[in-house]
Amino acid sequence: MGKFFERFPDPLARLIVVFLAMLVVGLFVVIVLIPKPMKDVQMQWADAVKREQARPVKYAGFRSCGECHDALYETKKTGYHRDLSCETCHGPAKGHTEDPDNVKPVIPVERAFCPQCHAYDPSRPRGFPMINPVVHNPLKSCASCHNPHDPKPPTTPRECSACHGEIARTKAVSHHVQLECTTCHKTPQQHKVSPRAVKPTKPQTREFCGKCHGKEGKDRMAKNAPKIDLAEHGEKYVCWQCHYPHSPEVEQ
Amino acid sequence: MNPELVHTLRELIPQIQGYIYPNEIEIHWGLLIVVYPYITGVVAGAFILASLVKVFNVKEVQPLYRLSLLTALAYLLVAPMALVSHLGHPERFYEILLTPQTSSAMAMFGFVYAWYLMAVLLLEIWFVHRTDMIEWAEHETGLMRHIHRALALYSRDTGDRSVAFDHKALKVITIVGIPSAFLLHGYVGFIFGSIKANPWWSSVLIPIVFLFSAIVSGIALVILLYMILTPLTGGKISMRCVDKAIDFLFYAVIVDFSLELVDFIHRVYQSEEEIKILSEMVMSKLFASLIIIQVLLGMLVPLTLISLTKIFKKRFHLNEDLRKMVYFVAVILIQFGIFATRWNVVIGGQMFSKSFRGLTTYKMEFGGIEGLLFAIFLLALPILILAVLTKILPPWKEMHGQPAPEGVEAAGS
Repeated sequence: MGKFFERFPDPLARLIVVFLAMLVVGLFVVIVLIPKPMKDVQMQWADAVKREQARPVKYAGFRSCGECHDALYETKKTGYHRDLSCETCHGPAKGHTEDPDNVKPVIPVERAFCPQCHAYDPSRPRGFPMINPVVHNPLKSCASCHNPHDPKPPTTPRECSACHGEIARTKAVSHHVQLECTTCHKTPQQHKVSPRAVKPTKPQTREFCGKCHGKEGKDRMAKNAPKIDLAEHGEKYVCWQCHYPHSPEVEQ
Repeated sequence: MNPELVHTLRELIPQIQGYIYPNEIEIHWGLLIVVYPYITGVVAGAFILASLVKVFNVKEVQPLYRLSLLTALAYLLVAPMALVSHLGHPERFYEILLTPQTSSAMAMFGFVYAWYLMAVLLLEIWFVHRTDMIEWAEHETGLMRHIHRALALYSRDTGDRSVAFDHKALKVITIVGIPSAFLLHGYVGFIFGSIKANPWWSSVLIPIVFLFSAIVSGIALVILLYMILTPLTGGKISMRCVDKAIDFLFYAVIVDFSLELVDFIHRVYQSEEEIKILSEMVMSKLFASLIIIQVLLGMLVPLTLISLTKIFKKRFHLNEDLRKMVYFVAVILIQFGIFATRWNVVIGGQMFSKSFRGLTTYKMEFGGIEGLLFAIFLLALPILILAVLTKILPPWKEMHGQPAPEGVEAAGS
């Protein structure tokens, strides 16, 4: 052995001994001391996969909703919410698919829900429908005006808003947002030609507003509208003489 | 959101601008990850400076040779500390080497690091000092004698055959060492450059920019140490050596600056979707650290200062003290500049949201393993290690310009 090392220069021989010693110690540690499973990185992955597989399945997927709720499914398919899964709003529904009668998915009716996406945030993309939840029809549930399965932003027809822009903007954030202009106004075709000579009509009777706001009001849209007793409330006047109809404010 | 998390983020949330994803509010790669590339950079740079003597035969910088090797070793010993401390379980560091995950660039760093430490730096330092250590041990008593004998591996052979082998080995090691140093630091840039999802990092230029800034910081630091340590140990600063080293530093800074400028112009010219948020970040959150410290104080001012000494050559060469002062200021500013470069890459890359619509903020802790105090400790530790190393392997003779022992000087030729 001594003769073998004599063939090398002294420094090299010494370094060879040091490196051989380190190699032997290293190999001993890697081969003998470390248990085999510890060297297997697959082991950790396998554990993670098992752990994930063992977790209960909670979501059913939107296709399974369509099997029973086909009408809603079809409506949603073409609307603005087409890219949202049903369970985005209704929560995990695996339980409901297994036991439809006893397990009901949530229906988010509280006002705080929709503003999670639709509250005003300057960083959201331009054109994304956003509202200020404090002033936008306070106290009303979003679904009372908007069909969540096919939401369409209420718009004023261009032929009205072109001239009556301010009214259109006021109405857009008012309780009457869902009402078409023609619900209250009958507009002769000639109005567009000679707007000052031929004017649209205005409701002339108290009963017109009473259709929604009267105690007996049966209109579908008016389910949540404030109700009054037409016989006792401001009987001498037409409603719009006191309440501005494009942004009606009342004490609740 | 988890109330505990909200509590810890309370101070950050009011400082967030625009829209940011919840997992981006807190910056996860903090100060330690800033310190880490800074330290590896110094290692690579100091080694490149040392190789100027051995490979490129630049005799003027011979006084810096041993100091730069010891500086590289001192910083190399601390380099992985920042990384493993950041990972949270420093005591498990050896597991990276025992059960390596070969597809992880960071785990492979363990092997690059081990190779660089064992096969390059320690061997080079050993070969440089072997005959010295034998000689020192002969004239010493007590503990130091034992240390030197053990470090020389109990060799007593100073014969021609062994010394000739030392020289040959040194040359080979240095030649192998240069690509190794590039690999050691280039890999840090490689990690950042590979993160495709982050447009602040995802650039093929990043590894090269890292490399050149590493060379800049290493050379500048060794010059700074030389200018401080030489008078402290009773020697006289060799202006011939400093002038030459500053020359190399000057070229390295120019290349580094040009590369960063190219990267910047490329980004602006491409003007991809992220350009808006990046420019907003540069003009608000990173204004002080990028524009003021990195570019202005860390590059333009030192470049101007060094250029002045070249333009007004006569005046500056007559006044050696003025030149020294200018160099001294320049190398200190460069250190701050390079540290700011690391800061801007690491922190900057995490400050903007992947939504490109918001900016978060970085709150530095004072105590704790990710805090300022620990980072200062890590930055000071190499200096302490260097102090110990210079006790064991004193480089003073060479630094003071006295001829090194015959063998070592011959190695440079």
